[in-house]
Amino acid sequence: MATVKKYGFVIDVSRCIDCRACLVSCSVENKVPQDHTRIWVQDLAVQGEWPNLSRTFVPYNCMHCDTPPCIEVCVSRATYKDPQNGLVLVDQDACIGCGYCVEACPYGARYLDKSRGVVDKCNGCIQRVSTGLEPACVATCVGGSRKFGDLNDPTSEVSIAMKNATSVMQLDYESGQVDTDPNIYYVNYQGMENPLIVGNAALPHPPNYTVSEEGWKKILVPLMGLAVGGAFLVQAIYFTKQLIEGEKEFEE
Amino acid sequence: MSSSYKSIPLEERRRLREKKYKKHNLANILTHWFNVGCWLLLLPTGIAILSSPRLGLSPLWWQEAWRNIFGGTANLIRFHYTIGLLWVFVLTFNILVGFRKYFVPFAATRLLLDKDDIEWLKIKPLQMAGFMKDKELPPQDAYNAGQKAYMYVVILGTIGIMTSGIVMTFNRIFPPILKQIAQPVHWVSVFAIIAGLMVHVYMGAVFPEEKEAFFSMFSGKVSAWYARAHHEKWYNEKLKEEAEWEDEVEQEVKEALATHN
Repeated sequence: MATVKKYGFVIDVSRCIDCRACLVSCSVENKVPQDHTRIWVQDLAVQGEWPNLSRTFVPYNCMHCDTPPCIEVCVSRATYKDPQNGLVLVDQDACIGCGYCVEACPYGARYLDKSRGVVDKCNGCIQRVSTGLEPACVATCVGGSRKFGDLNDPTSEVSIAMKNATSVMQLDYESGQVDTDPNIYYVNYQGMENPLIVGNAALPHPPNYTVSEEGWKKILVPLMGLAVGGAFLVQAIYFTKQLIEGEKEFEE
Repeated sequence: MSSSYKSIPLEERRRLREKKYKKHNLANILTHWFNVGCWLLLLPTGIAILSSPRLGLSPLWWQEAWRNIFGGTANLIRFHYTIGLLWVFVLTFNILVGFRKYFVPFAATRLLLDKDDIEWLKIKPLQMAGFMKDKELPPQDAYNAGQKAYMYVVILGTIGIMTSGIVMTFNRIFPPILKQIAQPVHWVSVFAIIAGLMVHVYMGAVFPEEKEAFFSMFSGKVSAWYARAHHEKWYNEKLKEEAEWEDEVEQEVKEALATHN
């Protein structure tokens, strides 16, 4: 989906020290309940053999995908990709918190806020960005690992950071009909193996379609189509017959 | 069925057309048209809300048009469930208030399928497909077997729509699993009713033989001719009621005269 702006993140994995200041500032800025977090940092533990050791921390948040599986399943378009800024947002006034999108997200970037009965996720701090500020996590990042900006604009900070990067990686999920094309670019990783896929990193996992959601598509949709279409056809046949033959209200 | 009516003399036929029987009471008529009004508001907005690309059940321009009218998804949903709650409240209220006077007699006398209805359900689809044209349909009650069958779909579907709608409206209270199940229940019930509704509207408002049924939904009355042709058992019942009433009045008059003298 082509959008006017394409806000995304560039994350310099070589600069993350796992201080988790971003988690705190995000939760404070967005009033995230204490038992949840919108963003997280994955510790890939010590890798390699002595004396060539490396340790990498990978910051995560919503990838604001180009073709997000979460939006495909949302029944009411309560979650949508903003055509102006390209962020994947949740309209919490429209959301009923059924959790289809939580199951469908390959990155686990969404959670159910049970106390409010809605789904919550990273919104790119659009409330800050629209007033010219950086997202809370980017503004607090002590090592300058997180960067945010318009990927469509070649002069933006993120575009320049990508141009100067020694390596660029994406955590793309591509299988069958689903191709997420995420908008977080991990740059400047110096290690041997891909830090996004090695070890116990369970992301991305295939989109999980819940039984009631999958059931619709496979059985109920064709069944209902058949019933409604059939009924329409029957009455259409009778109506055409009536139009051709004319009306005989009385036989006398 | 028409062949046997040719033997009726013209005068008699005219008399039957003039004579009216009451088929629907006012409560029934008002509830019916209230229901129609709510459906006209709920169905277009509901289909506009139902916008998952994975389902692909409503066209994008339709979704956009209704979102533009109401100013966004949230407002569209608010309108939908406000009308929905009104619909739930009024229908439930009507059934509870008229439970003994209207609902119980209706359920007991007009709703259940009997042997003739089963026979009708066997023959009618075959006749519609072009077979057994000369076979006579069994006599029908106040509602024929097709109407009764649809009535079951409507009753079950309405319960499904109402309960699932309430679950989705009060999303803070109900657990996610119920909200997940409620969605297919909600619109499968709607489409099951829609399938029958197409036939219902055609038969009620367009099909020439059933014209009287349409006007009876305003006046509450149908002619004896129509009753005899389409709802013979109900017609006979009405005749019996009439005769009994006449006998009763006759008796009363006789008694009154006896005491007077």
